[in-house]
Amino acid sequence: MEYSNLRRQTIFMKKNLFDQGFLDEQFNQLEELQDESSPNFVEEVVDLFFKDSSRLLTNIEQAIDKYPQDFYRLDSLVHQFKGSGSSIGALRVKNECSVFKAHCNDRSLEGCRRSFQKIKREHATLKQKLESYFQLLRQVGPREHAVSSRK
Amino acid sequence: MARKMIRVLLVEDEEIHRVMARAAVKAAAGAEDDDVLDVAENGAAAVRRVREVAPYDLILMDRQMPVMDGHEATRRIRAMGVTTPIVAVSSDGLPADVEAFIGAGADHFTPKVSQATRQCRPCDACMRHGQQYMIDLCK
Repeated sequence: MEYSNLRRQTIFMKKNLFDQGFLDEQFNQLEELQDESSPNFVEEVVDLFFKDSSRLLTNIEQAIDKYPQDFYRLDSLVHQFKGSGSSIGALRVKNECSVFKAHCNDRSLEGCRRSFQKIKREHATLKQKLESYFQLLRQVGPREHAVSSRK
Repeated sequence: MARKMIRVLLVEDEEIHRVMARAAVKAAAGAEDDDVLDVAENGAAAVRRVREVAPYDLILMDRQMPVMDGHEATRRIRAMGVTTPIVAVSSDGLPADVEAFIGAGADHFTPKVSQATRQCRPCDACMRHGQQYMIDLCK
């Protein structure tokens, strides 16, 4: 009974993440790559994203302060961040990165600053939600971790 | 008869993309346990690997990398006379980006997100190419 409740909660939580636009289809593709030989693949990749992205956010923030007119550098850093976010299906993060890149193209520092604040907010919110999701998934147990077999 | 082992070179500087590409190559239809996935973390390392290691069946080439980017690495690999299929990989897939890669000598382009899924067509094609190569060798 407890297992069924937990399982329902994980399904509901994941559906919410999609319905609210936090995640896109790429997250499902990630889960497709997970199997018995790598049962924590999705969580490992997501952890890797948040570890990398924290560093990238610091770099972007420093670049905005130190090189405010170097839109090529800013675009390049956010491009990297956007690529990593896309890989885990971080839709809102990815979209806000596109907005930032558009501001770089327009050479709008104020636009970049505003957009960067949004990127940080979306990043923090997604991190919190995914941490809760994986915490719940761990409670459900290893049966749920192996989503599909690869071959 | 078992097919020839497939060797893939992944040229990618970001760890997250390496991890995902590795999983996608392993998941590709027809992939076998003996198949090899080598990694180079920038274009210069890729050029060295291609020069020094046994021929690759497929090269997956990222665009934006430190030391040497994907466009330049592709040009240099082609200048060496290497005909291994090179699949360019980029997050944006802007027409100018694709053109630059094809102009440098890449054979195909795939968005970075597609590369890291079970539907990695270049990976699938590589496995098929590998099988065909073995069939031709046995003739």
